[in-house]
Amino acid sequence: MTMNELRKSFHHDLDDVRAELVHLAAFVTEAIPRATNILLTGDLEGADYIISGDDEIDARALDLEDRCVQILALQSPVASDLRQILAALRMIAEVERSADLVCNICKAARRIYGHALDPSLRGIITRMGEQAQQLYIAAIEAFVENDAAKAAAIDDMDNFLDALQKQFVQAIFESHSAGNIDLQVAVQLAVVARFYERIGDHAVNIGERVRYVVTGWMPEHKGAARYRSRADDTGQPRRPNPAALGSAIDDAVHEHDEPAELAAPDSDANGESSGGV
Amino acid sequence: MTALWLLVGLAVGAVGAALFLRRAGTREKPIVDTAEEAAARVAAATELRDARIQAALDALPIGVIVVDGEARIVLRNRASDDSGGDTHNEVLVQAAVQHHLRAAVRGEERSQTVELYGPPRRVVIVHAKPLAGNGAVATIEDVTERSRVDSVRTDFVANISHELKTPIGALAVLAETLIDESDPTVVSRLAGKTVNEAHRVAKIIDDLLELSRIELSGDLVIAPCDVAALVAEAASRNSYAAEQRRVEVRVCDVPPGLMINADQVQLASALGNLVDNAVKYSEVGGKVTVAAFPENDGVTFVVTDSGIGIPTHDLDRIFERFYRVDRARARGTGGTGLGLSIVRHVTSNHGGAVTVESREGEGSTFRLHIPNRPADRPADRPAG
Repeated sequence: MTMNELRKSFHHDLDDVRAELVHLAAFVTEAIPRATNILLTGDLEGADYIISGDDEIDARALDLEDRCVQILALQSPVASDLRQILAALRMIAEVERSADLVCNICKAARRIYGHALDPSLRGIITRMGEQAQQLYIAAIEAFVENDAAKAAAIDDMDNFLDALQKQFVQAIFESHSAGNIDLQVAVQLAVVARFYERIGDHAVNIGERVRYVVTGWMPEHKGAARYRSRADDTGQPRRPNPAALGSAIDDAVHEHDEPAELAAPDSDANGESSGGV
Repeated sequence: MTALWLLVGLAVGAVGAALFLRRAGTREKPIVDTAEEAAARVAAATELRDARIQAALDALPIGVIVVDGEARIVLRNRASDDSGGDTHNEVLVQAAVQHHLRAAVRGEERSQTVELYGPPRRVVIVHAKPLAGNGAVATIEDVTERSRVDSVRTDFVANISHELKTPIGALAVLAETLIDESDPTVVSRLAGKTVNEAHRVAKIIDDLLELSRIELSGDLVIAPCDVAALVAEAASRNSYAAEQRRVEVRVCDVPPGLMINADQVQLASALGNLVDNAVKYSEVGGKVTVAAFPENDGVTFVVTDSGIGIPTHDLDRIFERFYRVDRARARGTGGTGLGLSIVRHVTSNHGGAVTVESREGEGSTFRLHIPNRPADRPADRPAG
């Protein structure tokens, strides 16, 4: 196989991985309003449908991971190509976890089946569902279009979802105090709010990975650079202590934590491919 | 002699050469094309035919995708590129198309109804069929509207049966119990319930007749109407119900002298129904606001309540006849399920628009826009 053919094959594989990842994320985006409706209407059949469908998501996520690992092993991509594969591996986990959270909302719907909810609670649940879906839509679009600016906006959109979660918890207290819902339902609802909030966080993480693919930089790099800039007791720049973090990847970390590299986007910041092999 | 033959030979040669050169200079078009010309003509004809096929496919409202034996796309029309909606909806439709096309290439005919939750909710039918020879064709048809109409029709039959049968069934049971009852206290209580159920049936019949009259009345009686008076009438018509529920109905200041050319009876009915609805679905002690202002050569009426609100997935269905958001609760409100249908028909008769914004727990806002129409001449108006 010539070098040209190898590159062609690599980009074909990469396109496939991206398309399958977008497909999985689209499933989750579609499932969010379904789960909200299941919760609000007590649709047990719908809950079963979503919960049983999660096995397929798990299987496809695992297949996709295997394909990424195969690409890494066989094609040894570098620069932006490497970032694409690494980011895809992380994004698969985010999407798969979001699908689990959607299932959890459906399981909560089963647990509170038969309990009437106040209109105010129902209204905020609807809003949380809509906002979580909007975050996922933005994440998919940012990924498909390689749009770092849109990806950066997802974090701000998430603030609104966080505020809704707080508002919802307050409404749960009020509803419980008024005797409209019992303690078990109140606890289930609080957990449901947390599920929506976590779905939003996963969308934010996908957005951050998109930024990493496009620019080579992620918001976490800022915090990491700040940490390293603080001098320790000996006056030397701090370095993460893998032992203290309970991690076994000491050498690997030290190899990659050059301050100059972390302070700014890497040299391949424009996202251009530098070759697949 | 030899020289003579030489001269003749030279002359003949010269004439022959001249003739050859002349033919070569004015070469006639051969009867059969050269291979290049024939190929060019075939290519042009093929291009024209392909362009025609593409234009014909692009004119179709359904998406069409043709693939070869390797499932590679060889032809697709415009409608197949964009089935509308967000990226994730598009991705799900295209994934279904690809999946079924691969099966069709193997010789299996496939069909799937893809229901997208949206919003907006969409229903798409994907059909893939093997082609003679090799390859396959897939069609993508958006049947959202058809599916909506089907569900409206099915629900209508179910809802009307429920709304009419429930009070009539109750009347029959009450009457049967009354026959065998001798205790005057029980008889009085049952009689009271019988009257209530009879009133309920009467109200449904009144509303049905009004709706039917509005639906059938092709001729509106268009005359100048005082908007402030219309709004005040709608509020006062519901003042008793509002008092009972301790709901405050507040009429905002309507610009003085604001007039609209409309059918006064129908418009009053529509506004009355909107205020009635707002009062019924407000919590005890709630507030309803009625406002009107000139907008886009017409008048917009806005009725806002701080009530229980409407679930998002019901918003596009509440104007259907007998549609109930919450059937269990609706019966307690005493409504017939026809009020908002009447509003929609009045609006449609006037060429206007009615919209609703609502959120559960926060209340609802109905906007009714009626465009100004030229008033009928007095001679056109029906007598009496």
